[in-house]
Amino acid sequence: MTRSSRGRPRRAAALLAMLSTVTLVAAACGGDDDDTDPAAGDPSPGEATDDAGDEPVEIRFSWWGSDSRHEQTQQIIEVFQEEYPHITVVPDYTDWESYWDRLATATAGGDSPDVMTQEERYMTDYANRGQLLDLNELPVDLSGIDPLALGGGQIDGAQYAVATGVNAFTVIADPQAFEDAGVQMPDDSTWTWEDLADAAAQVTESGDLFGIQPDGSNEAGFKIYARQHGQELYNPDGTLGFEAETLAEWWEIQLGLIKSGAAPSPTELLEVEGPDTSYIATNRSAMATAYWTNQLGALSGTAQRELALLRYPGEAEGPGMYFKPAMFYSISSQTEHPEEAALFVDFLLNDVRAAEIMLTDRGLPANLAVREQILPQLPETETQVAEFMAEIGPDLADPPPPPPNGAGEIPAILTRLWEELLFERMTPQQAAEQFISEANTAIGG
Amino acid sequence: MATTETALQAAARDAERRRRSRPKRLLMHLGLIALGLTMLYPLLWMLSSSFKPTELIFKEPGLWPTEFEPGNYVEGWTALRNPFHHYIVNSLIIVAGAVLGNLLACSLAAYAFARLNFTGKKAFFAIMLGSIMLPVHVVIVPQYILFSNLGWINTFYPLIVPKFLAVDAFFIFLMVQFIRGLPRELDDSARIDGCGHFRIYWRIIMPLCTPALATTAIFTFIWTWNDFFSQLVFLTDPDLATVPLALRQFVDSQGETSWGPLFAMSVVALGPVFGFFLAGQRYLVRGIATTGIK
Amino acid sequence: MVSTKPVSAPPAPGDSTATPTRRRGKSVLQKRENRAAYLFLAPWFLGLALITIGPIVASLVLSFTDYSLLESPNWIGFENFERMLDDPRLHNSLRVTFTYVFVSVPFVLALALALAMVLDRGLRGLPFYRSVYYLPSLLGGSVAIAILWKIVFGTNGLVNQVLGLFGLEDLPGWVGHPDYALSTLIVLNVWTFGSPMIIFLAGLRQIPQMYYEAAAVDGAGSMRRFLSVTLPLLTPIIFFNLILETIKAFQTFSQAFIVSGGTGGPADSTMFYTLYLYLRGFGAFDMGYASALAWFLLMIIAGLTAVNFIASRFWVHYGDD
Repeated sequence: MTRSSRGRPRRAAALLAMLSTVTLVAAACGGDDDDTDPAAGDPSPGEATDDAGDEPVEIRFSWWGSDSRHEQTQQIIEVFQEEYPHITVVPDYTDWESYWDRLATATAGGDSPDVMTQEERYMTDYANRGQLLDLNELPVDLSGIDPLALGGGQIDGAQYAVATGVNAFTVIADPQAFEDAGVQMPDDSTWTWEDLADAAAQVTESGDLFGIQPDGSNEAGFKIYARQHGQELYNPDGTLGFEAETLAEWWEIQLGLIKSGAAPSPTELLEVEGPDTSYIATNRSAMATAYWTNQLGALSGTAQRELALLRYPGEAEGPGMYFKPAMFYSISSQTEHPEEAALFVDFLLNDVRAAEIMLTDRGLPANLAVREQILPQLPETETQVAEFMAEIGPDLADPPPPPPNGAGEIPAILTRLWEELLFERMTPQQAAEQFISEANTAIGG
Repeated sequence: MATTETALQAAARDAERRRRSRPKRLLMHLGLIALGLTMLYPLLWMLSSSFKPTELIFKEPGLWPTEFEPGNYVEGWTALRNPFHHYIVNSLIIVAGAVLGNLLACSLAAYAFARLNFTGKKAFFAIMLGSIMLPVHVVIVPQYILFSNLGWINTFYPLIVPKFLAVDAFFIFLMVQFIRGLPRELDDSARIDGCGHFRIYWRIIMPLCTPALATTAIFTFIWTWNDFFSQLVFLTDPDLATVPLALRQFVDSQGETSWGPLFAMSVVALGPVFGFFLAGQRYLVRGIATTGIK
Repeated sequence: MVSTKPVSAPPAPGDSTATPTRRRGKSVLQKRENRAAYLFLAPWFLGLALITIGPIVASLVLSFTDYSLLESPNWIGFENFERMLDDPRLHNSLRVTFTYVFVSVPFVLALALALAMVLDRGLRGLPFYRSVYYLPSLLGGSVAIAILWKIVFGTNGLVNQVLGLFGLEDLPGWVGHPDYALSTLIVLNVWTFGSPMIIFLAGLRQIPQMYYEAAAVDGAGSMRRFLSVTLPLLTPIIFFNLILETIKAFQTFSQAFIVSGGTGGPADSTMFYTLYLYLRGFGAFDMGYASALAWFLLMIIAGLTAVNFIASRFWVHYGDD
């Protein structure tokens, strides 16, 4: 890179002038052709797809997550590269917040990663805009994948994404905190929100930790609540499927936990940056309702305690919990090396060596055979996840329909309104109505 | 307009100072010191916290650590995927390119605006001033598309090449102001001796501009070093991350579990700025003052 | 700005047919000087065309489309601009931004001027004070300082620890509270008053001592001397600082981004216009709308600067006219 600092401005400028007039026009018309690509570093664009055998090929793989995930993924890439020495996998990882900004700009610029990690709320957008390849047409073996997990990545019969694994949204509890507080941990197979609130209040009263870290900004929590009441966040036709009253009720419950002192103050809650800084992971609360089953390992690790998974309250009256594809692997339609990208996705999904490194960090593996094989190797927290999932499995309601286009905007809307509620700048009913109106705009309803 | 005080004026000021009563001056010093301390306290607190064990940071507002934890620096240095000096080197490469680009391109343009008469000068000057005020957010997307079509995403070019095209118009303005303050007799006599504009620019104006060039270099260093937005957009490869990007990764990935190491790396990130400030404050002060003087 | 000042048929660089129509005596010399000037300006012209004006025009075109970053754009006319009229979040972001600008800029300027006046009295240790007050200006925009701010104004941060020493307990976290979060950013901006202060100091140095002496002979007190000598002679500098600080404040992004974790929260209380634009464009794939927002921002800044310039005729005194 130092070249350019010494470089000749005039020459560079002239080059820039020539290229840019062409490319700006091309880009504005949505053209994807990348042959004016002097610095991309592909030794042979265009030809590599024909003979996947030995031409050295570079593909980029993007994902989000914590440090431990980055390290594990790095190891998996190394194993893959040993097996396929001609393929170099370039890692491209960030935290969750900047991941989508970055993916969007890269995609717009025709510089999308070849293999990307997707999420259900965004996947539809990318697929409908023609940015993802149909995996059925590529050498990715999908025969071993849990049919339940496959469905989430299908749109109009095309397989745009494959689930990395499955997940459930839960309440996470710290048994030791309950014990220290001298409070009986509630029975999650029958519990209601009142039971949860009582237990949480008792914990707060008995010592210097909080009963619960609630979250009124996580749509998964509300999704479960709506389903328990016979509604849905999204209808199968992509419209909103709940009443404002239901959302307001759910918010009232969360706010009640804060008002009663069972939970930290609003500003303290907003200072939680991510799983690692959460109250449950820093031994400052006995429960948390903001996390997924695959996060148990990371949370337990930070907490240095054995944490437990509990069902979401109210399941006994009407089940609302569901298995969600934790995340997806997709292949970009911009890739110049679909074959190699497919090889890599196949490796991630079906090779037991990959699963042995990844364990359940991307959800319980979607390949059923692989899942069986790694079960005995799981450390205790991960076994716990597997057992919990097996236990709740039979009680679950049908999987919810996939989110519509524009669903990627919903979390931000929910978060903002939740913040308005935390500081009593709106009533739950007002906020719920506002949510419906804004969400309708976002998903084009 | 006179730019320096005459000896007489200085003497008069001195006399006035002596006339003023001692206690009043003392009070004023006390006030100024108190304000300065308040302003610097957060910085000092960060420095001190970078040596405290994380648990103590939120318990002790005092500056002197009761427990000394230099391990924060070791931990912070190795907390990310690459050792921290990797990010420092990345930042330095970009900074070096940006400094060179700004020095060359901005001084060329400034010479034209300050010394030459040409058709459209007023309009171009207005455009130049206008472009100082242009928020980068207005143009970031088309720029991204342009650079990506050049294959420049995940290279340092988008952060360096524009500087060679004098995009940082603030420095053109700064140098125009400075050159206008130089006596015209020098280049007039050079012109009579048959010097062309380029020779005048290179042999006469540039050497006299050293203070303005130094100011430009130091400001470019600091601003580029601190820049976050464009680096965030153009550099997505974690191996190319710069110091600010690395810091943000740090916040997101480590969070509250390691404030100590985070503070330690923040101190490291601010270090070069502080160093340049100490070494070059004469130029900074003079340069920034020049821009305000018509 | 760029758009409001169409250049009246400027000869293209290197276009030799442009000059002969003008008066003959001037033409040869002028032509040579023109050529030299355009050569010197060549890199800048290129940058202007490719990095500045080209993208501005591209943005303008995009603002009439529904460009989504992922699909090719469709022409939708003025739809984006109509949408801006009833977008409550946009209106909120304007309110936030204007509050920030109109509160923090006067504070910055007043503090900068006051301290410049104090320091200009020939106190011993001027360079020391100047450095201390100036340092925050250099650091203010960095990620490290934004992180520091977030922690200092947090629930258990330095500010509340210090207030705790005075017996104030159970205070909220300032950055996490929608009523106060913006104030912490205003404080951050005021904290960087050092650079306008230095410009003021330089300006004060330029006021010839004899004016003060003349005023003293007339029996003017210090207040009177400030009002009738210092302030009028300093108006060009005040004006300059006003413009610079206003524009700087309008472009604030990184601090709000880091302090709010990229959301503009809590409850949109730090949703600066630039941040909203960024989130619409890069968070919600809404590039057409974001481009319209970008153009509106351009208009606001151009308009405000124009107003400043027009108003300046009535209060700015240029000494040597």
